[in-house]
Amino acid sequence: MGETILELKRAKKAFPGVTALDGVDFRVERNEILGLVGENGAGKSTLMKILIGLQTVDEGEYFLRGERAALDGPSAAIRKGIGMVFQEGCMIPNLSVMDNLFLGNEDSFGRGPLMPVKAMAQAARGELEAVGLGRLNPKSTVGDISSAEKQMLEIARLLWLSRLYGVDNPILILDEPTTVLQESEVERLFSILGALKARASIVFISHRLEEVVQLSDRIVVLKDGRLMADLGRGQADVKAIERLMVGHELAVEHYRESMQTDCGSEVVLCVKELRLGGRFEDFSMDLHRGEIVSLVGLMGSGKEEVCRCLGGSEVPDSGSIAVHGKPARFASPKNAIDAGIGIVPIDRRNDGLATSLDVMSNINLLILDRMRSGPFLKPALEKASARRWVEECLIKTPSLQTSCSTLSGGNQQKVVIAKWLAAEAAILVLDHPTRGIDVGAKDEIYRRIRALAAAGLSIIIMCDTLEEDIGLSNRMIVMKDGRIVREIPCPKDAKPAPVAVIGYIV
Amino acid sequence: MKMKLRIAGIKPIYISLGMFFLLVAVFTIGDRTFISLYNAQTILNAVAILLAVGLGQVCVILTGGIDLSVGSIMSLVSVVFMLVIGQLGAWAYPVVMVLGLGAGFLNGLIVSKLRIPSFIATLGTQGILISVAYLLSASPLSVPENSYGLVDIINGSIGPVKNVWIIGLVLFAGFFAMQAYTRLGRGIMYIGANERMSYLSGLDIDRIRILAFTFSGFGAAVAGIILSATLYSGYPSIGGTYVLNSIAVVVVGGTAMTGGAGGVLNTLIGSLIMGILNNGMTVIGIDVYAQQVFLGVLIIVAVAVTFDRRKLAIIK
Repeated sequence: MGETILELKRAKKAFPGVTALDGVDFRVERNEILGLVGENGAGKSTLMKILIGLQTVDEGEYFLRGERAALDGPSAAIRKGIGMVFQEGCMIPNLSVMDNLFLGNEDSFGRGPLMPVKAMAQAARGELEAVGLGRLNPKSTVGDISSAEKQMLEIARLLWLSRLYGVDNPILILDEPTTVLQESEVERLFSILGALKARASIVFISHRLEEVVQLSDRIVVLKDGRLMADLGRGQADVKAIERLMVGHELAVEHYRESMQTDCGSEVVLCVKELRLGGRFEDFSMDLHRGEIVSLVGLMGSGKEEVCRCLGGSEVPDSGSIAVHGKPARFASPKNAIDAGIGIVPIDRRNDGLATSLDVMSNINLLILDRMRSGPFLKPALEKASARRWVEECLIKTPSLQTSCSTLSGGNQQKVVIAKWLAAEAAILVLDHPTRGIDVGAKDEIYRRIRALAAAGLSIIIMCDTLEEDIGLSNRMIVMKDGRIVREIPCPKDAKPAPVAVIGYIV
Repeated sequence: MKMKLRIAGIKPIYISLGMFFLLVAVFTIGDRTFISLYNAQTILNAVAILLAVGLGQVCVILTGGIDLSVGSIMSLVSVVFMLVIGQLGAWAYPVVMVLGLGAGFLNGLIVSKLRIPSFIATLGTQGILISVAYLLSASPLSVPENSYGLVDIINGSIGPVKNVWIIGLVLFAGFFAMQAYTRLGRGIMYIGANERMSYLSGLDIDRIRILAFTFSGFGAAVAGIILSATLYSGYPSIGGTYVLNSIAVVVVGGTAMTGGAGGVLNTLIGSLIMGILNNGMTVIGIDVYAQQVFLGVLIIVAVAVTFDRRKLAIIK
């Protein structure tokens, strides 16, 4: 066992309603590549944010090189030799490669009023060469270089900074680096990471378990904020890691399965061979009356884009969508809404609500047209409608005039759902409807979803966890790399085990 | 250093109302003539103009935009009004109102169809419109001999009630109804509060925005008519100070510059405050050049206490 240079002891971190980390012990050794895996919501990103000082632990201790670390932000983390490489790079696109490389530290080339551009370019060339970017012109604009180059550039920047601050063996955290890369670029990244290991430690986060197994010296599995396993090289194969990721079998009646109803035979939404260049292709599905279909897949699988096309906020290149048998063309969200499709977005504060406005205005947004006499709205009708939906959806609010910004996440979500129900949407797309909502409110949302399906609404859902997908849906459509790879029925008395499903996803 | 000046739990409109009464008290103590009937009339005449241009401006500011062209619209309207009233008679009124509506509509088109930020778009059109006014007549125009009667429709009164106050009230009632009881008024609030959500909810954002600017042009046109009628004159620099004044009455009334919060009622209070402040400072004898200091401080304080800046990551 090598020397431990980073250690997190019994780290706990809770957010309102969720425990993101529940007593995690985590360490990084000198000169190792550590694979970090876990489902969405397992606590990976919280862990990373703590490591780079974006968040602090509620309980527990954080040691860097044997010293207690108190980081107050990413720049403090970098000074201590720990930095994060973001998928698309976190750089300023309209500046040059070398400007980005030395951003904020130009003083180290001299404090004169003019920047020593020549010296900087020279130094940049050396740094780029070290990460296999020898052929990249330091003066080219970052916006024009490829994703792979951006990642390598960010690595180069972290390495350069660690030398600048005199830190030995820096720790680089790579978050899903391969999802934006071509296959040949992945190879190159891996060989560079292999070479870097001699002078750095690397934390490699990925959903692609084959890659993790291939690259990592050690693999750590997170699940529900707990560390499930700490495996040395060769101790586990992909199958075993999958089992650790999904953990125990599904709890009985977690998602109101007994309320699940069989769907009708009538096809409400018929999608044929939908394609959006570079995102997904050949996507066909039928959605029946009262059916809950869950779209499952990793980031980059194309499911998010499919939903955006169904909501009209993105226009597919080809293929057809028919609602109630009538062909529809969605050029804008308005077309989709008119056809009866409602989207409950993942980012409800920015995409779903006007949080500064009151509950009533948010609920009635889509149906103001029905509340007029002549050109003028009738406040009595508005109030009656808002009151009806507040009661129906069990929205806990002091009054109809309460600003939505003061409501809890669960109640905000109910307001968004109420908005679409008021507009009598026949199809709802629920994009991670329980994200950031506490357990009690989650159950209310589950019950509401069941009740809506029973009442004949058709629902497409994307969930935070695989268990939730399996538990809620009548049927799952699994997508991978832009294509449907599998359809899995999920009847209430024969739900598939997550372990049996995850293999299709990753 | 960030300061938390916002007074928790108090709606901006109550702060503005408090400011209003405070100013009345201060100026009354400063000089008893401030509260005289004659002075009150003077204040209300000025308030009517501020209100007209402010009501238009608030429509745009509620959407999250700004209209820098209202002063130029007032100037152009005053010049054209004086140019055409001799020949057109009473028709001059609708003609210049349509001119204001058209200018506002043009602003709206540029902002929404060319997707140019309203600050830049209206900065451009204010230059164009003021040039047109100068090209039409660089020197001041006065009311033609035959038209004094027509112009005095504005300056007249019914009993003790001045016609300009009635115009102001009618305009206020119209804008209030628009904001509170029409889909357009709600639409303005929706896009000001969250434009992306509004788009995803199928609102016709371009249409709403164009109409907001059109209302702004209309308010400026009415303000321009009142101003040139009370001065019996029209000239290209007549509206110069009203860009800042219109923004001031909106923010002093407690409407957020980010849009989506505040409104027409706030603007009425803001107009009263600005009218009283301008007049009261002169009445109690504050140096004309020093008055700008107080105005400037008031605007900064108004924005500091009414507008929730915590949400802004970057102050531009």
